[in-house]
Amino acid sequence: MKGTRRVTGRRVPWLSYLVVVTGAVLTVVPFLDMVMTSFKGPGEAGTLPYRFLPKAFDLSNYRAAMDQLDLPLLFRNSVVATAVITGSVLLTSSLAGYALAKLRFPGRDLVFRLVLATMMFPPFLFFVPRFLILVHWPLAGGNDLFGRGGAGLTVSIVALAMPFLVNGFGIFLMRQFMVAIPDEVLEAARIDGAGEFAVWWRIVVPQTKPVLVTLGLLTFVDAWNEYIWALLVSTAHPEVMTLPVGIQLLQDHVDPARTTPIVMAGLVLSVLPVLVLFLLLQKHYVRGVMLSGLK
Amino acid sequence: MTPPPRGTGRLSRRLALALPAALLVSGCAAPHRGTGRPGDPIVLTLLSHYASGVLREALQGPVDEWNATHDRVKVRTLAVEFTDLLTTFMVRQAAGQGADIVHPYCLWNGQLVRAGVLRPAPPEHAEEIRRGYGEAAVGAASVGGTVYGYPTEAQTYALYYNKRLLRAAGVDGPPRTWRELEDTAYRTTRRDRYGNTLVQGFGLSVYDDSTTVGQTLALLNAAGGRFVSADGRSTALDSPAGRAVFGLERRLVAEGASDPGVNVYQAFASGRVAMVISAGWWTGSLRAVMGGAYRDVGVAPVPVPRAGDPRATLSTGFMLGVNTASAHPREAWEFLRWLNTEKTRGKRGTPATRMSALQVAAGSLTARADDMRTLLGTGGDPNLHPFLDALAYAVPEPNGPGAQAAKSLLRKNIEALWTGQQSVTEALRAIRRQVDQEVARSW
Amino acid sequence: MVNTLAPEPTGRAPVPRSAGASGSAGGGSGRIRHRHRHRQAVVACLFLAPTLLFYVVFLALPLGFALLLSLSRWAGFDLGDIEPAGLDNFAGLFADGSTFLVPVLSNTLLFALGTVALALAGSVLVATCIEKLRRQGLWRTLYFLPILTTVVAVGNVWKYMYEPGGLVNGVLNALGLGSVAFLQDADTALPSLVVVQAWASLGSAILVLTAGLKSVPESYYEAAALDGAGPVTVFWRITLPLLRPSLLFVCVTQFLTGLQSFALIIVMTGGGPGDATDVAALEMYRQAFSYGEWGTASAAAFVLFLVVLAVTLAQLWFFRRKGEDA
Repeated sequence: MKGTRRVTGRRVPWLSYLVVVTGAVLTVVPFLDMVMTSFKGPGEAGTLPYRFLPKAFDLSNYRAAMDQLDLPLLFRNSVVATAVITGSVLLTSSLAGYALAKLRFPGRDLVFRLVLATMMFPPFLFFVPRFLILVHWPLAGGNDLFGRGGAGLTVSIVALAMPFLVNGFGIFLMRQFMVAIPDEVLEAARIDGAGEFAVWWRIVVPQTKPVLVTLGLLTFVDAWNEYIWALLVSTAHPEVMTLPVGIQLLQDHVDPARTTPIVMAGLVLSVLPVLVLFLLLQKHYVRGVMLSGLK
Repeated sequence: MTPPPRGTGRLSRRLALALPAALLVSGCAAPHRGTGRPGDPIVLTLLSHYASGVLREALQGPVDEWNATHDRVKVRTLAVEFTDLLTTFMVRQAAGQGADIVHPYCLWNGQLVRAGVLRPAPPEHAEEIRRGYGEAAVGAASVGGTVYGYPTEAQTYALYYNKRLLRAAGVDGPPRTWRELEDTAYRTTRRDRYGNTLVQGFGLSVYDDSTTVGQTLALLNAAGGRFVSADGRSTALDSPAGRAVFGLERRLVAEGASDPGVNVYQAFASGRVAMVISAGWWTGSLRAVMGGAYRDVGVAPVPVPRAGDPRATLSTGFMLGVNTASAHPREAWEFLRWLNTEKTRGKRGTPATRMSALQVAAGSLTARADDMRTLLGTGGDPNLHPFLDALAYAVPEPNGPGAQAAKSLLRKNIEALWTGQQSVTEALRAIRRQVDQEVARSW
Repeated sequence: MVNTLAPEPTGRAPVPRSAGASGSAGGGSGRIRHRHRHRQAVVACLFLAPTLLFYVVFLALPLGFALLLSLSRWAGFDLGDIEPAGLDNFAGLFADGSTFLVPVLSNTLLFALGTVALALAGSVLVATCIEKLRRQGLWRTLYFLPILTTVVAVGNVWKYMYEPGGLVNGVLNALGLGSVAFLQDADTALPSLVVVQAWASLGSAILVLTAGLKSVPESYYEAAALDGAGPVTVFWRITLPLLRPSLLFVCVTQFLTGLQSFALIIVMTGGGPGDATDVAALEMYRQAFSYGEWGTASAAAFVLFLVVLAVTLAQLWFFRRKGEDA
């Protein structure tokens, strides 16, 4: 029982195959073009007429890209920031979601509305102030108690993750799913002597695993793709540069006659580890997302 | 009051505390600039766009020389690409990480002075700058009559042309008037049957400010026009000269002699553009990229509308200034004087400042015309001579507080003109409205 | 850690088995319930503490500061230089000659609208088709790949494909068609970007819609099959109405993303040609971090916030009304 549904009976759904395969080809071809271009020699890319295959598989573009890109640093920063953001969003969303769904306290509705309201604010409304808050963070990066004198948290890798540690959408999502957990289950655990933390950890978290996987995946994708904030922070302090920012800067640094193939080689190098990881873990998250049935 | 169960309380408290605590700890580990210990040398940071290639090496030479010969003050260079330079100044300044010595494009001086980034040159340095450089260079390095730094790199605009493509089209020499320019452009253009441009007669490129705005302003100045009025508070582009330039560019695109979608930097180097107006720095880069094919490249003054019109073109430049936020301004100015005014005999044995020597070595132009002449006299690229001659008649780029914003607006409208979104009249009117609004806000 | 939890101090004996427990016991139980409530409130505070702390430092504080900046003139870096300017920044945005309303804001809305429409149509089509195939997980993963490679990578790949010597024009020429200057022509630049943004977001939308499709009870389809309804009727009468929550989710999130798009546009066109693809986020970034016009940038951000709010509320209202119709 894989949940496969064939409304049309046993006939092969040709039309569906046509649609899905066409779309898949359109999805994959740009990446093949990227890979092919990454092997093209000087003056070969962008000249007319267009040729899909390179004349020879020239590896020198990869060498040039690796000379220009500090890939270990970029990967480290991207991975750390993404991991911190995803971990923090899962933890805070689950805790806050539980409090809003299952605990009784005065002002609960108010807090819930507040959380919903936060989702309306476009992040760049906060870019300038948040940046200045990090700059003037007390007792960090050479600052005194009043946040003067140094560069604050902007010099730290933490700055990449700070504005994304809590996600209103995540809290909302977790709360919606936790409301559906029967109160009797929680009450029974409480009667057995479990504290609220134990109830959350031993009953609520396992029950909401599929949603956590979904939320984790969406958060990961957002954090991994984040560009504008990372650009800002790494402009102030290049040591915290992330993969997207580094890749985008690559084209400024390479020989203009070979820019395109070298940039493509850099892209291949940056994309490959993620794709491999994702394909390996495919089974786990697809099932999680399917089970959660986003509402 | 019932105390919460121990386990829950402890863990939640830990959760609540862990976050800020972790942040504080990581923040404290941040590197500090300079040790601040008595006896240790002062480290001055220098932020420029000499990020790659010959220019980076050329600047590193004198900096290494200074560091080897000075114990008390050391200089450390930082560099980003030119496209990121202004943002880097602004963001690093906001982050309290502004470099001690900055190397801004003179266009930004008004904005940087208004933002309190640049420190006025001390009187003795200002005096030296006024004495050692030409009027245009000093003007570009000044805001409201106050000098803010040592002019370093000077750029003028001239016409690059591919001798081979011109010959193949039966044209003997570079155009001197706009009529000849148009004629040559149409004769050199070639296309394939799908409408793809194989050779552009005249390269107009939306690739960057330098090609889009730079060559338009060079043509405008050659026609006797100006972008901004003398007081810097309104635009002067909506004039007969402006109309003539826009008309010329629009025709070139409409007739297919220009293809703004193509990156001229790549296309000219690979022999797919016959003519383009660009600045002097490009000679160095072309020589490196083109190899033997560089002998086909010629440079001529920007054509004027009618034979016998006085020559004019655009000049732009950079300068080295000192950050208001620097803790060691005196040392910073001292280093700048050493780099920019002290004449030494370099490898070629000709007396010139270290800055002049490094600019010319990198295939660029120095703001000191006398040095430039001396250094070029001993060899060097003959294609640089037209740029040097232009220093005498070039019009400096305006540098009021909203200059970069105005330039970006100008660029957008030029692109809209080229792509046919706007007619010449519409473009001129839009520029006047938009730039006047921008300039009015900045003052 | 969890095993060491101390038992509840009040003991378990007096608590009635049924969770509701209304009126089942006397005063003693009421006091316990009161304590129980009180304890829950304390725990809730602790659970919410990280979230609320974050909101104070990174939402409330910046919001106040952004409001202050939007009403000030501040061109410098010293906080002491902030001067009150009333509504000048807002007035400047709407003044004659300002490019903020047209084309910046209009481009932003067109871009968001285009991507939502395209991504929604595409994802509904593909998601329902995948439902009928074998190896569904594989197909979904395939469609999910673009977004994993980062928007910057996607933008660069497509920028090159759109070039005169790139793949798309190569295919056009091979079919005997003329070349199109996708990103250089002001008329095609924005639509070309919309296609890429929609292409990249297809995977997430399909994932969300699939989850919605899976939650439609099998019996609905069986009943429809018994009534002899064709696949098109089933789609319009059953699948689409029941997908409403998922569609709303895709709509709202795609719109929010579209209205704030920055990376793809700066990578592919930088806002050009002219200002054909200049959007709000790009303009704000430039005003703040290139020109140092913090006040203008903040005022523009507030205007965009109102637009986001209006669009989101309109969508919620639309879907709710539709829901009542169904």
